[in-house]
Amino acid sequence: MISRQLKLVKKALSKRVSVAIVSMLLLACGESSGNKQTSMLNDNKHYLPESGGTLINAMTGEPSGLISMIAGESASSAITSNIFNSLLKYDKNLELEGDLVTNWQISADQKTITFKLKPNLLWADGKPITSADVLFTWQAVIDEKTASPYASDFQLVKKTETPDPLTFSVTYDQAYAPALDSWAGLQILPEHLLQGQDLHTAAFVRNPVGSHYYKLDSWAHGENLKLSRNAHSVLGQAKIDRLITRIIPDNSAQFLELMADNIDAMGLDPIKYSRIIPARPELQQKLALYKELGNSYTYMGFNLKHKPFDDVRVRRAINYAIDKQELIDGVYLGLGINIASPYKPGTRWSNPALTPYPYDPTKAKALLKEAGFTDSNNDGILERDGKPFAFEIVTNQNKEREKSAVLIQRRLKEVGIDVKIRAIEWASFISRFIKTGDFDVVVLGWGLGLDPDQYNIWHSSQQAPGQFNFIGYNNPTVDQLLEQGRLELNPDKRMKIYHEFARVLLEDSPIVYLSAGYGLTAINKRVKGIDDPAPPAGIGHNSQEWYIPAPLRRNEISTH
Amino acid sequence: MGRSARTTRRGKGLKLNNNLFKKALSNPLALAGFIIIVLVFLLSMLSPLIAPYDPNDINVKAILLEPTAQHWMGTDGLGRDVLSRMLHGGRISLLVGLVAVGISTAIGILLGAIAGFYRGWVDTFIMRLVDVMLSIPSFFLILAVIAFLTPSIINIMIVIGLTSWMGVTRLVRAEFLSLSEREFVTASRTLGAKDVRLIFTHLLPNSLTPIIVSAVLGVAGAVLMESGLSFLGLGVQAPQASWGNILTDGKDYIQFAWWLSLFPGLAILITVLGYNLLGEGLRDALDPRSGHGN
Repeated sequence: MISRQLKLVKKALSKRVSVAIVSMLLLACGESSGNKQTSMLNDNKHYLPESGGTLINAMTGEPSGLISMIAGESASSAITSNIFNSLLKYDKNLELEGDLVTNWQISADQKTITFKLKPNLLWADGKPITSADVLFTWQAVIDEKTASPYASDFQLVKKTETPDPLTFSVTYDQAYAPALDSWAGLQILPEHLLQGQDLHTAAFVRNPVGSHYYKLDSWAHGENLKLSRNAHSVLGQAKIDRLITRIIPDNSAQFLELMADNIDAMGLDPIKYSRIIPARPELQQKLALYKELGNSYTYMGFNLKHKPFDDVRVRRAINYAIDKQELIDGVYLGLGINIASPYKPGTRWSNPALTPYPYDPTKAKALLKEAGFTDSNNDGILERDGKPFAFEIVTNQNKEREKSAVLIQRRLKEVGIDVKIRAIEWASFISRFIKTGDFDVVVLGWGLGLDPDQYNIWHSSQQAPGQFNFIGYNNPTVDQLLEQGRLELNPDKRMKIYHEFARVLLEDSPIVYLSAGYGLTAINKRVKGIDDPAPPAGIGHNSQEWYIPAPLRRNEISTH
Repeated sequence: MGRSARTTRRGKGLKLNNNLFKKALSNPLALAGFIIIVLVFLLSMLSPLIAPYDPNDINVKAILLEPTAQHWMGTDGLGRDVLSRMLHGGRISLLVGLVAVGISTAIGILLGAIAGFYRGWVDTFIMRLVDVMLSIPSFFLILAVIAFLTPSIINIMIVIGLTSWMGVTRLVRAEFLSLSEREFVTASRTLGAKDVRLIFTHLLPNSLTPIIVSAVLGVAGAVLMESGLSFLGLGVQAPQASWGNILTDGKDYIQFAWWLSLFPGLAILITVLGYNLLGEGLRDALDPRSGHGN
């Protein structure tokens, strides 16, 4: 399962859907929503767990491929986390446990980890899973040709050994704190099907063979991905026979399908969650709502290579000029938290001493003046060196982000900055703006992992196309803190490092934190066995135990 | 039948357009269309004076309010007054419609005149170009072009204009082909009139009526096109209101906030209907075979 990988979040919502089905690990520890609704759902007495049935969910974007170390996006990992296993995984309380391994040992000097694979594991095609597959996967992820955004985690491994088919050991130069977490995030690929192939173009990308509960049956482009139970699953059998993920780019079309009973689960936006569904008894009866504080946040990021965003005063001024509370109230209907560090509020990594930039247009104007911006021609827009202060906010077609951009546009206008907004479809947004770095300002989201290490996002070495530091952040202090944090194994000292990191980041203001949003999910009540209240790992942690009682299933035309 | 009638009408040129207009408005449907257009035009032009709120005035405490006495058409997802946005959006729609049609008509007249007047390989070339342009579905052509440009009102107007001149070209060419065989043209030519003079004083004024009809109908098409593009997020960009993007905002809440979809939808419908009715009326009045005219 995906546990810690940083992901570009296309849509806080679309992620939730997938997440509800697979790896809620990203969204630990949420409050559970309206008990009225969820108690009906958990009325398991009438229906004993039984296997069979089909669960249909929807996603807004199609995965670019099904090797998640390359894709680095939530759409892809939503599918692959049902198909592939990692060496380790997180249990419902977010403690590490074996996924493909029975146990692991850390050497006395903390530099070597030895993993023992479970015996007799098979790939979905019946071939055995061995340490050679793990070695192959490691080689693939660090290979420059793969250009994986996660490579840096694994490049620190100096030596690997596979003394026998069930043993895999890695040695780091120095103790590496996020090591176990990183292995929990790396999905192991089958060597026998991929050796010698280019991972970007291999047919495997669209027709993967994994080891998890499900295997891919078909992928109709632009329509759906159908998964069915993998007879060789290394973790036993899931209850639900088939998972169908329909690709429905339009959120309102998804909602119509949910209401019409054609899909079982989807992520909701705040308006549907707190206005539309509560106002409609027939929907309340049919759907269970879940609300969990996600481990993700929405931000506005500056392209630090472009002027004038290289000037910290300008970045701070803009931060002061944006009213985040207004945005949380207006766009998220209060279902969001104003944050000051890139960590989930309330966790140990989130620095409680930090406070978000308050809304202070006067200060913003003063800072802009200091940076040399004045309104010399009295048109209401500031100028520097005769050039007006104007830029374009680029975002993907996500209602919340578009609305946020409109609110930002208005507030910045008040301090004399002329903002244009451009909302583009996700795939072209990524390929045309993010990967090329050809943007001024983006509004985007980060889905985070459980480990506080955010080297991939902020370290100055992670700026190649396709890597995550696309805003071009380069701060030696932060680089050093991130490097330190990776080496520190003492949790308290580590916490201090990341608190300091968050402090520097806030001061430097390379991004403006807009909101840490809640994951809002609706699941049809025919799906039983969902933990309520959700454990720290979220409702998806036991998705293999979810079941759909036969009387509640849809009438299906069997294709088998 | 109306050969002599046609000839006389052509002879009178511009003056006849006036009569034509009167004749068209005697048709009740065309009159209705005309009134609709005038009304929409007035409301849109006066929007800064009559709009009850600033169309971009965000109020996060009043989002998605139903129509009430304060907000006749309710509020949208950011608490903006839909009526004010509709009025301002109307300006954009009409502006885009008129400018785009202006561009397409200008191009159409130019190319059609050249093709119809000079004939030969120039004609063949221009008409094949028309065929090629017509063989591409225009909406997809526009989508493709917009994808390369930044979406903005100006670009939308230009792109719609540049992709919808083919009809006018064909029309003008056909008119020119038939007109240049007429005696009055031959006479002028014999008297030594230059090409430019022939085109602008004889041929063009006599082709104006069908051009006007096609332009009026073209505005309807352009308004629809702009709404479609804005609906897809490729047209008028936030926070500027247009009927198309108000409709998009409403789409997500169509089961819940009906007013966000209904009003812009109606506005587009009525405006397009107005242009179509007027255009049809003008065509009927122009067409001697329609029975109304003679």
